[in-house]
Amino acid sequence: MTDKLEVLRDYIRTEVGHEGDIDPHVDLLESRILDSFSIVQMAVFIQERFEVELDADDLVRANLSRLSAMVAMIDRKLAA
Amino acid sequence: MLSRIASPIQEFGFSAGLLYVLGRGLQAVSSHLRLQVYELMVQPIPDKPLLPSKFGRSFEIREIRRGANEIELMPARPDIKEARFAQGAICLGAYRKGELIGYIWLCFDRYDEDEVRCTYLLSPQGQAVFDFDLYIFPEHRMGLGFVGIWNGVNEYLRERNIRFTFSRLTRFNLPSRRAHAHLGWKRVAGAVFFQAWELEVMFATIRPYFHASIRRSRRVGLNLTPDALTSDQNAGISTGQG
Repeated sequence: MTDKLEVLRDYIRTEVGHEGDIDPHVDLLESRILDSFSIVQMAVFIQERFEVELDADDLVRANLSRLSAMVAMIDRKLAA
Repeated sequence: MLSRIASPIQEFGFSAGLLYVLGRGLQAVSSHLRLQVYELMVQPIPDKPLLPSKFGRSFEIREIRRGANEIELMPARPDIKEARFAQGAICLGAYRKGELIGYIWLCFDRYDEDEVRCTYLLSPQGQAVFDFDLYIFPEHRMGLGFVGIWNGVNEYLRERNIRFTFSRLTRFNLPSRRAHAHLGWKRVAGAVFFQAWELEVMFATIRPYFHASIRRSRRVGLNLTPDALTSDQNAGISTGQG
């Protein structure tokens, strides 16, 4: 969990330029850390970095608006 | 009182902030007094999709025709929607799993503005559209809706050899500015319209720069060109940032 969180945090810091810590439960869209374009880019990154296959149904707010939800989705995909 | 003036200036900058305060003040005096502050923008239709194809496939874009049931779901007033069809506008709906998640309106080559008496004339002819009233239903906001719509609209326009889409942005709509920045928007011009009952006065940064009319039938024409995109590309090449 922690490793994946750190990878995702690093991605956001590098690609979006967000500075500081990111609470895994904070809504990244509402807090404007990410927007709908960066969410897509992040989904592509998740596929490549964690070698999971996402489909369009995975790209929903419930899976991508929080770091904790992203990690849970990655874990589900890896376990499947 | 001071904060009511200071905070818009802080948010929008000095001149735009003052216009915002002035506009709000005018509206407080009478509903017949209005100040519309517009930025006219252009964005290129990219050669490549915005979404990876397997994600893009989950959105379907299709034309919503006059009289279709979906028209009633749209929040704009019925007479405004009818006027749009009357001037030849096309409404494209974005569907996901058969559900309408949002829509956008397009006019080819020219668009009669419905807030002020102005017609935008687009060039190059046959290669440009004007997009307006992009709407995403609330339950589909803050997700893929915005990208999905634009991904599909770009494909629709590419198939019709359209290279540019112009739009009008209210100067104070910061979220829209942020969202569209990803689409390669460039500013073409600025225009301010003062409306007092039948009187309408326009100041613009492009020809004719100034226009005043008291007749409803008189519309000012603004020629919009995609030069802002070209000059930006040229600047990029000369500075090695292309």
